[in-house]
This record gives sequence, structure tokens and C-alpha cells, in this order.
Amino acid sequence: MGALDGRVACITGGTRGIGRATAEAFVREGAKVVINGRSPEKGEQALAEMNAGDAVHFIAGDVKSREGCEAIVNGCVDHFGKIDILFANAGGASNHAPVADLTDEAMQDSLVWNFWHTFWTMQTALKHMIPQESGRIITMSSVEGKVGKPGVSIYVAAKHAINGITKSAAQEVGTLGITVNSVCPGAIETDIMLAEGPPAAEAMGMTYDELINWFTSESAIKRLNEVEDVAEVCVLLASDAGAGITGSMISIDGGSSPY
Amino acid sequence: MGKLDGKVACITGGTRSIGRAMAEAFVAEGGKVVVNGRSEEKGATCLAEMDAGDNAAFYAGDASKQDAVEGLIDFTIETYGQLDVCCLNSGGVNMTAPVAQMSDEEWNLEIDWNLNQVFWGMRRALQHMIPRESGRVLVTSSVEGKLGKPGIPGYAATKHAVNGLVKAAAHEVGTMGITVNSILPGLIETDIVRDTGEDSAIAMGLEGYDALIEMFSQESAIKRPNTVEEVAAVAVFLASDSAKNITGTMFPVDGGTMPY
Repeated sequence: MGALDGRVACITGGTRGIGRATAEAFVREGAKVVINGRSPEKGEQALAEMNAGDAVHFIAGDVKSREGCEAIVNGCVDHFGKIDILFANAGGASNHAPVADLTDEAMQDSLVWNFWHTFWTMQTALKHMIPQESGRIITMSSVEGKVGKPGVSIYVAAKHAINGITKSAAQEVGTLGITVNSVCPGAIETDIMLAEGPPAAEAMGMTYDELINWFTSESAIKRLNEVEDVAEVCVLLASDAGAGITGSMISIDGGSSPY
Repeated sequence: MGKLDGKVACITGGTRSIGRAMAEAFVAEGGKVVVNGRSEEKGATCLAEMDAGDNAAFYAGDASKQDAVEGLIDFTIETYGQLDVCCLNSGGVNMTAPVAQMSDEEWNLEIDWNLNQVFWGMRRALQHMIPRESGRVLVTSSVEGKLGKPGIPGYAATKHAVNGLVKAAAHEVGTMGITVNSILPGLIETDIVRDTGEDSAIAMGLEGYDALIEMFSQESAIKRPNTVEEVAAVAVFLASDSAKNITGTMFPVDGGTMPY
């Protein structure tokens, strides 16, 4: 008996990284899962690697628009008949700079990619979850949704905003069998980290290795977190056992955040 | 394959309520557990009801006393050869009072029961776990570890304090394969709540027990108390290998009561 038997999950950005690990954990626990990404090739590759047959379905799409987000969530319902779990996992940030030098475009892009995507997918999912009086929404915040490192304010602001909407929404649907929580991972070396880490480091006046060291030295474990760390928390939150956890910002950061 | 196969846990205040639910969940996941309580009779009842054979044992002792807390850990290691998960779960209030009326005796009891218990247990457990480079310390804190209701100042103070201890200790042993976390439940209708809730309610200016339950429930998003099973599920997770990189956290099981 898996913890998520019979459940249907939708994960934005689930072909690699944290979303992919979570998709695999959900399938392991008996769920059917929609994963999403912008690239059909990466989607096909993920499906092949997951080798989970009909339990996984890929929906290509970009989370940076309302239409894109609605298509992913509604597509999950069209394909599997319902949605029980939304993991608004996609996100990232580019063109980091200190606030004094930041462009509107960089800020706007991060807010759309991270925060607006979370809002659009959350709203679309709730349209299905509220009538069925059950559901689990997991949003992707970060240790940077609680603390605030210099040089990455576009990411920090978006991740704080995600925590805010998580808390509000949780209070709104708390008696409807729906929980809304964020996961707040510490630094994990995903593809996004490898791609965006070097320019972020440069914006903060350091090398990539120094950036990694900064994150790891702040933790108690003195090493990076792993995608599986987040996936297993998502399983807990998504399961029946997690029915009493809502409006929470779960730190998965080796002790980095002070609250 | 259970999540805690081969693991040995001890639990202060483990014969009933949250601790008991943890004990049952640990055994269900393949662990062995020593439960502790003051009453031999409740201990015997607990073991009989758990029906876990050699996988469960009882150690009598008052968790507000140093020798009992340290004795529990020593007994666990003698009985099962090791200690992997130390749950410092016992706690509560005896005679609720607002600060202006709080007696020295009640304050000191709450410090011993809720805070010193955790220090004594954590120290003894870590002395065992550090050479083995592996272990889990779980502390049952509370929403009152972040909030602060009137009328229960000792409880709020000690639950805040254990969170601080958890964070500090986590950073000390973070590279030694040991995690230290607290769990922050919202209101749960445990025996202790049932026994002391009426007095706590009055100290908080409420009509009585039902008003207390209602007030706490309304503060949550789920408008109901949490359950012991919900806390136990988090305890199993934090005790497992899956949570090896989660430490120094104050893990909420509070239905959205705390704002952070």
C-alpha cells in the first residue's frame, strides 16, 4: 500500500531536478503523475528514464503565462480524470544583480516564473480541488523564501511571495480537506543551479565554488541538500498523514534557516 | 522494508498520547522502542496493548528528574544494544498560572519537565550517538514554542527554549550523521490536555475546557485539533534515513496555526 495510492499529481517542471525526484517518489507511492517542461525532448527522455508506463504523462508547456499554467493543470485533469496534488515546482531566476543595478525585466521575469506561475497553477488546481473537497498543494519556496541573501533579490522576493500566498490560501481552504504548504530547500545542485549559479555568483562578487561554500557553510550539515530530501517531504505532505499540516513553510536546508 | 528497520528508539512520556503514537508508528516501521512513564501500571498496559513482543519495553521514571531521563537512555542501550532515535516528548503544565501568580514551585517544575528533560536527554543521547556518528534527536515542542498564549508562561518559555537548544545542538553535530529537530504540534487532545485543560482555560480567561479546545481550533486553518497520528507520521519521517539532511528545523504539525 503506497502512501499515495490512487492519487493524481501534477508537477510543473518535473522532467529533472527536484520535480523529477518528486515525480519518481509519487509514482513509487502509487500515484499517477503529470510532469511538465518546455522541451518535448526532455519530456520524452524523462518518461523513458522513469519507465513507469501509464503512471506518468508529460505535458509540454511554459509556466510563464496564465494560459500555459491552466493548460498544464487542466491537461492533468483531462488525462487522468482528476487532480489531487499540485506541486508548483517550476522556477528559477536569471540576470541577477544587486537591487541598485537591477533591471525591471529581471525582476518581472523572476516574479512571473516563480510567483505568478504558483498563483496561476494554484488557482486552477483549486477550481478542481474545492468541489471535490480534497487536495494537496505544495509550492516551491526556498531557504531564500525565509532569509535574504544579497545579490539575488529577484529570487528572494519571489520565494517570499510564494510563502505569503501559501499561507493565505491555506487559511482559505483549511476546512475543505485541502492543505497548502511550501517546501523551502537549501542549495541543491540541480541543472538550474548549474546553469544559473555561476552568473548569480558573479552578481554577488564570488566564484561558483565560493557560492556553494557560502550555502553549505551556513548549514549544519556542511553539504548541499539533495533532490530526494525534498521529494520525501512532498510525499509526507501529500499523503493522508499530512492532513494536519497546512500553511507551513517546511525547511529542508540542513539547518540553514533560523526559523 | 520498514523505514526504521533495525533502529532503536526511546520515548519519554511514551505510554500514551503523542509518545504512544510515536512508539506504535516506530514499531510498525520495523523499529524497537523503549517507552517511559511514571506509572508501572500504565507501562504494563501500554506494552500489553502494543503487543509488540520483544520490540517494545518499558522504563519507569519521572521525566522531570535527571536520573530518570538519563536512566531511560542507559536502559535502552543496555536492553537493545544501541540508541538511534531519542524522542524527548514528555512535557506539560501542572498548575497553570499567569506570570503574576506563578509560584516558584510550578515554574521550576515546568523548567525541569519541559526544558531540563530535553537537555539531560539530549546530552546523554549525543554522548552515545557521537562516537557512532549516527542518530536522531526529536523534541516534542509546541506551537507555544513560537507563539505565546497568556496563562501558560512556563510552557511557552520552555517550548521556545527547547527550539533554541535544538538549533544549537543541530549545528554542533551536523556533520556527524546526527540530526536534531523539534516537532511543533498544535492542540492535541492528549491525556495531559484533558487533565489540565480546564485549569489552563481559566488561567487564560476562558470559560472552561470546551472553550479552550474551540479557541485553539479556531486559530488553525483546519478548525480542529491535530491528532497524535499526524505527529507520529512526522516523527517517523524525521527518524528515517530520508530525513538525513533535515536538521535544526522546527517542524510544524499545527493545521496552519503558526505564522512562521
